[in-house]
Amino acid sequence: MPVTTTALLELRDICVSYKHHQVVHNVDLTVDRGEVVALIGPSGAGKSSLLRSINFLEEPNQGQVLLAGQRVGVLDRRGRAVPANRRQLAEHRRHVGMVFQSFNLFPHLSALENVILAQVHGLGRSRSAARERARQELEHVGLSDKSNMRPASCSGGQQQRIAIARALAMDPMLMLFDEPTSALDPELGIEVLNTMRRLADEGMTMVVVTHEMHFAEEVADRVVFMADGRIVEQGPASEVMNNPRHERTQRFLSAVKNR
Amino acid sequence: MLDFAESLVRGVGQTVSITACAFLIGAVLGFPLALLRRSRNVLVRWGAALVIDTVRSIPPIVVVFLVFYSVGSGAVRLGTFQAAVIGLGAISAAYLAEIYRAGIESVASGQWEAANALALPSRKMYVHVILPQALLVAIPPAATFAIGLLKDSAVASVIGAQDITFFAFQESQATLQGLTIFLVAAVLYIALSLPVAGLARWSDHALSKRVAT
Ligand SMILES: Nc1ncnc2c1ncn2[C@@H]1O[C@H](COP(=O)(O)OP(=O)(O)O)[C@@H](O)[C@H]1O
Ligand SMILES: [Mg+2]
Repeated sequence: MPVTTTALLELRDICVSYKHHQVVHNVDLTVDRGEVVALIGPSGAGKSSLLRSINFLEEPNQGQVLLAGQRVGVLDRRGRAVPANRRQLAEHRRHVGMVFQSFNLFPHLSALENVILAQVHGLGRSRSAARERARQELEHVGLSDKSNMRPASCSGGQQQRIAIARALAMDPMLMLFDEPTSALDPELGIEVLNTMRRLADEGMTMVVVTHEMHFAEEVADRVVFMADGRIVEQGPASEVMNNPRHERTQRFLSAVKNR
Repeated sequence: MLDFAESLVRGVGQTVSITACAFLIGAVLGFPLALLRRSRNVLVRWGAALVIDTVRSIPPIVVVFLVFYSVGSGAVRLGTFQAAVIGLGAISAAYLAEIYRAGIESVASGQWEAANALALPSRKMYVHVILPQALLVAIPPAATFAIGLLKDSAVASVIGAQDITFFAFQESQATLQGLTIFLVAAVLYIALSLPVAGLARWSDHALSKRVAT
């Protein structure tokens, strides 16, 4: 049967546990191509865990992840599901870019080398093609002049934009952001948010965990509110942000807005 | 005194080469040992820990004697130099394995996550992301270990390797000026360890500069 849905990412019945402590409970979530989904909720709600289960940085202990209609993270061998090996996970992860709260740039490499590295050693691009692409991506995030700088000599906002360039150079179908501006002063956060806004305008599919309610309302197509490891409420951004139906969402939003 | 110095300097070559060869063996063998120590398989992990802890709990002089009398008396005749290098090399491997391991584990979890998220194959991740950072952390303790090894290499003299201590002992027996002679020996050991200490300081400095973002 041909795949007729426009869904790029489909999460079915995802559960994540640490040891015996379950933090994500049977979550279903579908993200369409080109859609920007903001994942909001109180700290400890399981937003990061859910996001990280998408590229198997946390392996979900139950449920399925489908990217472009293909089930990932497991290998069907004679009909039996067995956990995927590292090579198969890598095949999946190269299609999914991730941006972390703490940037996680490689400190011993220049900005340019940060963007080149995985293109060469993960995708197998030639060094010259990778360098050319890295230049383009750094220019795209407005940091051509920082190419030869080490991360430590760049501001936090610049580091995060380098991290975005590093992820984009891999030609991801989907970008995941885990509180990309939470470690930044507001004025530096704005450069990062502007970069993300442009990415969204260019049609990138994005799942963004964020505490930036303005960003969620203005840029996201859909807002998903999570609490206690479950999705409580979701819908068009303006609707969820302005007329939340659930009491839990209302409490969270008024607490955030009155901050 | 200059005579003594001249006489003892004959041992510098052996002292340096025993230390350098043993350290090199340790630096190479310590690496797979460190990886075994981090294996996902519990038995492998425990096995590596057992080897490391066993070697580390035997005094160097006993290890060198064991090598000299066991391996050295078998089919292959080992010279005193080889026996000392093998014994001290095994000890070095055990210590450096732990130093490497600590270095690898000091690399921030975010670095592993970023490398994984970028789909880097395991070997590339180690070579290009983890080890460059881990080795920088490992240099100061490895240099401290090298200085200790330089001193421990004196045990080679008891099986007859002609190092600084060997000549110092010989001279002191012949001239009965033990204090002067061993002071000269001490100065030689200090002089040899200075460059290594310098390396440790320099890498410590480089490290603190990098950590301070
Ligand atoms: N690596 C971990 N080991 C154990 N518990 C964890 C780990 N990561 C997160 N948790 C716990 O899981 C719960 C959800 O965390 P997280 O997914 O980070 O939530 P959020 O991103 O919404 O703040 C929290 O109670 C947190 O303490
Ligand atoms: Mg989080």
